[in-house]
Amino acid sequence: MTLLLKLAMRGERVRSAAWILTVVMLGAGLVSYIQGYFTTPEALRAYARVISTNPIFLGLGGPVTEPSVGAMAAWRSGGLLFLLTAWMALTIVIRHTRAEEESGQQELMLSGAIHRAAPLTAALVIAAVTALLAGSLTSAVLIAVGMEAAGSLAYGAAITAAGWVFAAVGAVVAQLVRTARSATTLGLLVLGGSYVLRYAGDASGVSLLTWVSPLGWSHLVRPYAADRWWVLIVSLVATGLLLVLAYGLSARRDLDSGLLPVRPGPATGPCLKGPFSLAWRLQRGLLAKWAAGVTAAAALFAGLSGVAPRLAQQPGRVLEAFLQRYGGPSGDPVDAYLWIIVLLLAYTVALYPVLATLRLHQEEHSGHAEALLSTAVGRLRWAAAHLVLGALGTAALLALGGFVTGLVHTLSMDEPAVGRMLLAALEHVPAAWLVGACAAFAVAVLPRVSVALSWAVWGVVVVVGDLLGPLIGLWGWSRIEPFHYTPNTVSGEPFSGTPPAVILALTALLTTAALIRLRNRDLG
Amino acid sequence: MDDLISVAALTKSYGATRALDGLDLSVRAGEVHGFLGPNGAGKSTTIRILLGLIRATSGTVRLLGGDPWRQATELHRRLAYVPGDVTLWPTLTGGEVIDLLGRARGGLDQRRRAELMDRFELDPRKRSRTYSKGNRQKVALVAALSSRAELLILDEPTSGLDPLMEAAFTTSVAEEKRAGRTVLLSSHLLSEVEALCDRVTIVRSGRAVESGTLSDLRHLTRTSITADLAGRPGSLGDLPGVHNVLVENGRLTCQADPDALDGLLARLSAIGVRGLTCRPPSLEELFLRHYQEAAR
Repeated sequence: MTLLLKLAMRGERVRSAAWILTVVMLGAGLVSYIQGYFTTPEALRAYARVISTNPIFLGLGGPVTEPSVGAMAAWRSGGLLFLLTAWMALTIVIRHTRAEEESGQQELMLSGAIHRAAPLTAALVIAAVTALLAGSLTSAVLIAVGMEAAGSLAYGAAITAAGWVFAAVGAVVAQLVRTARSATTLGLLVLGGSYVLRYAGDASGVSLLTWVSPLGWSHLVRPYAADRWWVLIVSLVATGLLLVLAYGLSARRDLDSGLLPVRPGPATGPCLKGPFSLAWRLQRGLLAKWAAGVTAAAALFAGLSGVAPRLAQQPGRVLEAFLQRYGGPSGDPVDAYLWIIVLLLAYTVALYPVLATLRLHQEEHSGHAEALLSTAVGRLRWAAAHLVLGALGTAALLALGGFVTGLVHTLSMDEPAVGRMLLAALEHVPAAWLVGACAAFAVAVLPRVSVALSWAVWGVVVVVGDLLGPLIGLWGWSRIEPFHYTPNTVSGEPFSGTPPAVILALTALLTTAALIRLRNRDLG
Repeated sequence: MDDLISVAALTKSYGATRALDGLDLSVRAGEVHGFLGPNGAGKSTTIRILLGLIRATSGTVRLLGGDPWRQATELHRRLAYVPGDVTLWPTLTGGEVIDLLGRARGGLDQRRRAELMDRFELDPRKRSRTYSKGNRQKVALVAALSSRAELLILDEPTSGLDPLMEAAFTTSVAEEKRAGRTVLLSSHLLSEVEALCDRVTIVRSGRAVESGTLSDLRHLTRTSITADLAGRPGSLGDLPGVHNVLVENGRLTCQADPDALDGLLARLSAIGVRGLTCRPPSLEELFLRHYQEAAR
């Protein structure tokens, strides 16, 4: 048991530390964010009023009954921190139970003098301790920056509780299905379902929905406002019951089997005709996930666009800088807000062609390409299939994001915006393609460092870009990234053909160089 | 010119390391050619050059009468390949992979596919992620064997198969040979090569050290002889080409070079023989001799 713990711990050290650090920094960061932007009690009260009247804001973190810095910070960060901690705990447990069982590692361990439930216990201990650290360190840091002690402790406990419940959920789903992938999917469904229930409950005020959601219990603690510690009893009891279930299931099944049957796949592949249909098959899952994410994010942000004019009525340096930067010729706060959504969409979606292109590297590295390229499929067709699908997917995601933003804005504000937003989003297609072309170049020319290099290119583009750059004080650096040259047509800047033409030419150049190199170098 | 594969003085360098060092190989149409050598001898590197996946540093390579690097795509229509370490797309089922590879090669014999699927007891509905090494190997084998390719390149195809499946593999390759196909079979299993191959090339450190039919190669080595003698043997050790002579209780064991057999047998019949066993040299001995020489 201690041996198993040590073994699992070694694999988790860095990852867990990164998770914990993220949670603690987000928790502390949002306190300073609230303190920085809402300097007076009036401003806080005004913010609280905005929240209480907008269902989307209510959904983000529940009602705000007390306009204190602590309560506001917990409102702002809670939803995210509970989700992160729950996800962390869930994945830790699956990684050290079902994933190890699937890879056969556990078979070797269990043939030693180790009880068959020991791996599950080891995984749960690590997840529980990580969640405990995330919660208690957040409490400690919040108290250290001057937040009220009781509220900070309650907040930390709520974070830990979310982790514990989902560690137990992870333990159960790991027993149910045979592969780590399906277990993760199942766990994600439970987590997503909990979030949606809680969101719906808080947004609509039907508190029953919040009460049936495991994530809801952590929210219902209402740190800094009510400090309802007793709600955590629900989390603890649920954790206990789930653990009893998990251990019961684990005692009842064979190694490397699940309780839910494995669904057999098709015996023939009539749709797999060549490199393009194969690339589509390999990329469609990624595209579907991105489409769901883009739709949800666009709808959420567009739904909040009603807040922009109300925020604009409050004077402040933030708003002025905001309007100046994103308002364009019209200077309209709503337009500025919509443009920010488009930028957010563009910088995020720019990662998609990178991931799609890196599939080429994975295919080469894993040996899959060797099997395909020993057939009549040539290298160019193989590479082109992935690149073309990545490019089309990028355009489709941007179009989808623009469309959804426009549609939700039209519905909620009664102001037609679909065409305008669609156009603004599609304007960014060439720049996103250029980021993807850099990845293609890296895969072809510098295969060994291609993954790191491709991510770095995207990272630099985002960090120096027009959205994040100013926030971290990097003014003017955005000139080196392509999105900077896209005119703000949302606020009435005229469209110009030159920037996209130049960017497309660069994209073509990099892609051509990549294809030439791919044709001439050794593979594998 | 009947050679489907002809390789001469082939070299491949990775920086300072030399994976191939002047390798020669010729595979004639219609034969099963064994490509023998331990891991790291350069078998897979040669095959990857033949497939146009990597480029030779120097030397000449002809495959099916073409240049495997420049005409890769068109030549690949006429061959099927089973890699040594089969990795498959984890989300595709075995059946889907077979159809994909078959179609990408330009066609699949559906009857042969069904027959092989049955023979190898392969469940085509399982996702590749859940296949064991042996099962992944079977998927690649079924895909290659049910193609209509004239040349099969198999890189250690039985390394994950159990003995029953190895037998199924042997049967299948024999059928391919009867159907007139040519097979390049890389292996380090001598029994497999002995059972299937017409000709053999043995590689060591990136170089072909021996090449020919099995009987050609046997000529190069010694026959083991055990004889129960009627009379006193006298001194047999002075005969040229007879080695490791040992006489115990009237039983003689020794090894003889091919051209010393005549003299030895004449001497033995003069002494009088009650029982005699001659064992031809096995590939194993041939193989070990080459590698022991290298070690010396």
